[in-house]
Amino acid sequence: MVPPVAVSPLIKTARYSALIAGIIYGKRRYDHLKPIAAEERRIEEEEKKVREEQERIAKQLAEDSILK
Amino acid sequence: MVVRCTLSAVGLLSTLYGPTCLYAWLTVPGLLKRRWLDVLEDLLADLDRGMQHSMPAGGAAVTYSKPRLANFWYYARVELVPPAPAEIPKAIEGATNIIKGFQTGRLGQTTVKDALRNGLVATEVLMWFYIGECIGKGGIVGYNV
Repeated sequence: MVPPVAVSPLIKTARYSALIAGIIYGKRRYDHLKPIAAEERRIEEEEKKVREEQERIAKQLAEDSILK
Repeated sequence: MVVRCTLSAVGLLSTLYGPTCLYAWLTVPGLLKRRWLDVLEDLLADLDRGMQHSMPAGGAAVTYSKPRLANFWYYARVELVPPAPAEIPKAIEGATNIIKGFQTGRLGQTTVKDALRNGLVATEVLMWFYIGECIGKGGIVGYNV
């Protein structure tokens, strides 16, 4: 088996600082995006309710005019 | 038969060979130091073994992966350890050396082979950032908001 290579300290510090920087970036981006997604979901819910209400009214009107 | 071979090859390369010397693959110095004939031989041996029997399951997986895990630790304990606090000044010194080399024009003298090797190592270092991002966001593909 090939003996393991002694990696230079510059590469080692660069790797682990990149890892930590990535963890911090990922966490911050997630925390930034989470409320935006929750807000969008809330708005979608409200619009869906309004739309369903209008559909219900339209259906009522259609039924009333055709059947009677 | 051909499809079975290719499927077993793809599955094997990611599971059998992975734990064997994953970081000898990912760590460029480890891979380049090996003779390419040895690497090819290992790959073919894994393929051969895979075609004889399917993936191990249950308790067999433990006995199967133990030597591979030992092999992984053998390399990881030297190549993947975080830098000791005493090594950080050496790292800063290395970085200033590179900047000085850039200023004096010595970096223009690097051979293509050295340039490619350094580019590969730099890419590996940058990819660790994305691994960190996956850990930070708690998922592999996309943000689960």
